[in-house]
Amino acid sequence: MSDRLPEPRLEPSQPWAAERASAMPLGLSGVPALAGLGLAPAARPRSLSQLQAWMMDALTGPHASSGLGIVVDGPQLPAAGRLQIYRHAYTARLLECLRDDYPVLAATLGDSRFEELGRRYIGLHPSDSFSLNAWGRHLASACAAPPSLEHAVFYAELAVLEWALVEVTHAQAAAPLDPPELQRIPSEAWSEIRLIASDALRLLSFQYPVNAHYQAYRSEGIVLPLPAATPSTTAVYRRELTLWRMDLTPAMTRVLSALLAGETLGQALARIELDGADAAAVAEAERSVMVWFQAWVTSGFFARVEVGRGAESLPR
Amino acid sequence: MNRFSLPNLGVGLGLRTRHYGHILEHVPAVDWFEIISENYLQTRGRPLSVLDRIAERYPVVMHGVSMSIGSTAPLDHAYLQQLKELRARIGARWVSDHLCWTGVAGKNTHDLLPLPYTEESLRHVVRRIREVQDVLEAPLVLENPSTYLEFEGSSLKEWEFLAALSREADCGLLLDVNNIYVSAFNHGFDPYQYLAGIPFDRVVQLHVSGHTHYGTHIVDTHVGPVIEPVWQLLAAAHQRCGASVLLEWDAEIPSFEQTHAEALRAEQYIGAAS
Repeated sequence: MSDRLPEPRLEPSQPWAAERASAMPLGLSGVPALAGLGLAPAARPRSLSQLQAWMMDALTGPHASSGLGIVVDGPQLPAAGRLQIYRHAYTARLLECLRDDYPVLAATLGDSRFEELGRRYIGLHPSDSFSLNAWGRHLASACAAPPSLEHAVFYAELAVLEWALVEVTHAQAAAPLDPPELQRIPSEAWSEIRLIASDALRLLSFQYPVNAHYQAYRSEGIVLPLPAATPSTTAVYRRELTLWRMDLTPAMTRVLSALLAGETLGQALARIELDGADAAAVAEAERSVMVWFQAWVTSGFFARVEVGRGAESLPR
Repeated sequence: MNRFSLPNLGVGLGLRTRHYGHILEHVPAVDWFEIISENYLQTRGRPLSVLDRIAERYPVVMHGVSMSIGSTAPLDHAYLQQLKELRARIGARWVSDHLCWTGVAGKNTHDLLPLPYTEESLRHVVRRIREVQDVLEAPLVLENPSTYLEFEGSSLKEWEFLAALSREADCGLLLDVNNIYVSAFNHGFDPYQYLAGIPFDRVVQLHVSGHTHYGTHIVDTHVGPVIEPVWQLLAAAHQRCGASVLLEWDAEIPSFEQTHAEALRAEQYIGAAS
């Protein structure tokens, strides 16, 4: 068992989180396709609310409208073409949002398959919020929903990793626990401490080495072939303004999972033995665990520590 | 000076994530920044942390895309409350949004959809602006949108609608001269006739940006440099109001220095009026 602490990966600065703007999506609002439009005049709405209901359907519904009788022909574009600009932009803007939130999934699937997935997602999950910050949160489940993609489990796991980065971007990061504060804990109390996780930490366990695939694209621009199934665990976290990803070994995962589940430090350490690792590995892990623990503390994994059975918070 | 006594902040830039690192590290000399309000709502994380730091150093204005002032769906008071709280948090000089609607029936297109310019729309929007201003306890500033279609039922020109709206609701105006240029091409009107119909005592801010010309229509993509006819419109508008000027650049965003240099070109066109 190698339980050296893996080097955390700095998240490249580009995905600061998808940004919304008042502009039309670039390159996606060109000359609209008009073929196949019905040219029959639409029933003319009698009120503003009727007109808006009609237009919502014309822009987001399954069928494009000619707009005849409602929309004026322009100097160079007929009513249907003018309406198509908005209809096209509706989908383009939401697809752009998904590409912002899931750049590696998009690159891995390729334009055509990602757009197909995105269009299906738009139909399943139209935005009902004033913000698009959380709109893409269901994409992992959409990967697995029928008609599911081939290799859906891998793609869904990749989506889970990318969405965790979005969530951690928007979560409130705790100030890291201060090592001198921890040193004030009496030694006899250590086994009873509980650590409360930062909101800006996600611990993700996968069937595939998802983070390695992600890292190859983010650092080298390479889309690796789909990997064979190999269990992996990645911590995604933010310290101040910077996002990080850290792969964890199985022993680390057991200890950290137990801590995040609210077990005491003593109980968490016992997980190493309980899971049947051999004696040498356990001894090595026990020697290493304080190194891991220190790294997790300084990385901001924990918001606070509770000492004793009464869950008394250590004063900050 | 506008009738709300909102200050001329100079020449500002739309705050974009690509430039966060440069701004925090170098603290460049910029008159002011405009934020997209929604990028800093429903978050307790990094965007807000960056904004707090920037608002400590620069004047900031909030520019929203989701108020949906023209929608027949009820106003979202939770959203308005968040706007108000963000404004207080960062000391934003004013809050703006667009003369548009974004959705109905619980569905949001996240687009700035056009209104028919009718008496019914006017009454409806005026009523909602007053409601918003009561919540915000501040004048709302509304921007003329770029539009790609017009409705058969419209009885007013856009500039007539804006003039009546701002007068009856007692709100401010954000005049986007690129949007005037875009809509003028798309609908075939004279942009200077548009300017002539604007009550400039209500204009508190001016926008400029690039756009994309598709031959049959122009789309407001906020990409690339500002073209000369748009700068000329800015000069004409600024001469009438002396308002704060802001460059928007939202696609293929270049370095901070290049973006800021483009914004500062405005000084060549407004210098005489400043």
